Amino acid sequence: MTDRCEETLGVGLLCEGQHDPGVPPAGLRRSPSGVDGLTTEHLIINMGPQHPSTHGVLRLIIEVDGEEIVAVEVSVGYLHRGIEKLAEHRRYDAVGTLMDRGDYVSGMMGELAFALAAEQLMDVEVPRKAHWLRSLASELNRLASHLVWYGTFGLDTGAMGQFLYAMREREALLDILEALSGQRMMFNYIRPGGVVADMPLGLTEQIRTFLSTFDTYLDEYHQLLGGNEIFQMRVKGIGTIDRQMALAFGLTGANLRAAGVDFDVRRARPYAAYPELDFEVPLGTTGDAWDRYIVRMGEMRQSARMIAQLIDGMPEGAFTAKVPRIIRPNAGEAYASVESSRGETGIHLFADGTEHPYRMHYRGPSLFAAQALEEILPGHLIADAVMIVGSTDIMLGELDR
Amino acid sequence: MRPAIADIERLLAAFEETTVAEETPGVVARVSLADVGDVLAELKSAGYESLVDFDGMDTGELIELTYRMRSYSFDVELFVKTTVAYGGTIESVWYEYPSALMPERETAELFGIHLAGHPNPKRLLTTDGVAPLLRKDVPIRTVEEVRAR
Repeated sequence: MTDRCEETLGVGLLCEGQHDPGVPPAGLRRSPSGVDGLTTEHLIINMGPQHPSTHGVLRLIIEVDGEEIVAVEVSVGYLHRGIEKLAEHRRYDAVGTLMDRGDYVSGMMGELAFALAAEQLMDVEVPRKAHWLRSLASELNRLASHLVWYGTFGLDTGAMGQFLYAMREREALLDILEALSGQRMMFNYIRPGGVVADMPLGLTEQIRTFLSTFDTYLDEYHQLLGGNEIFQMRVKGIGTIDRQMALAFGLTGANLRAAGVDFDVRRARPYAAYPELDFEVPLGTTGDAWDRYIVRMGEMRQSARMIAQLIDGMPEGAFTAKVPRIIRPNAGEAYASVESSRGETGIHLFADGTEHPYRMHYRGPSLFAAQALEEILPGHLIADAVMIVGSTDIMLGELDR
Repeated sequence: MRPAIADIERLLAAFEETTVAEETPGVVARVSLADVGDVLAELKSAGYESLVDFDGMDTGELIELTYRMRSYSFDVELFVKTTVAYGGTIESVWYEYPSALMPERETAELFGIHLAGHPNPKRLLTTDGVAPLLRKDVPIRTVEEVRAR
């Protein structure tokens, strides 16, 4: 028995006839058992709010056993500006400025959600061209936002080159958005009733020039980062969010679709010009960080497809409905949600017939993704925590509001 | 998509003081504060897998709370509303819907209500001593007014 134990089971196991390593022999204070006998103390470390890998001012209070995470508390609120309260003191056409500063990388979708909510309470029919311009602005902004995510997600793994390429493409997109709305990031372009301005002359050619190279570049970017073996080893199999957990934590957007749930607000609850567009919704299977990467890369390709359809089929006509200078929606309650770059952005709006919203609730998808981190991170290494936070693509501006 | 009102009424028949009606945002079930935990547990077993949103609204007399439920299997959405008095206590629904963890903390702090049964009932966005900001009796002050204090 003893021989077999040593031969087949190897070192470190207590076989018959051996001493229990927990009981030291006479004269010694502890058994010379090597690493197994060491005890480790759990440490509490702060990751953030100024950590470069938390994509903003997210603070993770992590309890670690060595390198392994035992428990996590997500602490937020470092960027709280009271957007919901401020909206109660803005006129309806000015709330868009607050929505831009909520999710400041994809402001168009926040503006669109508010405009859709306000229009439910207004007697206004949005012209067809305004719908198309809204979709165009949203998709351009989604591309820009996903490119920021793609660049910084690579930075989290230690890769550098893809960040510079992504920023180059994003700069071209921000130039287009600036030509469209007058601002690079804080647009206030989509307002209740329509949009602020028509497409300027020459913008269609500018977008075509951008699209002519983008698909090729996207393939290259995918090879550059996703084809890298180090990146794959870092990303595959970590941070798995299965269907049940994704639904329990209210995840939306790419985080939900990576778990295989086929739900996209653009298709399930169509708004703007999306019913008329031809696009696919990329889905993942297991819901790990790699699936979220693949889903977002697929979304970029679909966004480029949609932009091409939008500029080809852009209808003629007015870009906004006739809206009074001071908008006073009817008293009532409305809820509108759109598919933002990060998931479902929802606006719960209460109007009381005056020129200010009575109450505006801003449902940011990042809040739900961030609280799921408390469940996902334990069991991973600290280095993997960086990757998982990056893969959920949270935006602290809309989390803290 | 909106569920059929008759289905929701049948599902929530055991709860008195429940009214189901079609309103602008969708189908809304108004329930009493004591019932809301049981109602949400009932809805979860009926296939409403996800609590997508939770927020509050100050009517001027009390706080109206809205739970936005969604079933991905049946592709339907339902709003559940209840009311709570200023400084009242709401029962946390985190055990049925973990997505309520942070929104409940936020709503409790910004409307000045208490949480019962919550595993981590701390403030989420502001520090201790800050007034319940989203209540209508808490005004926004200008920079000059704050400096003058």
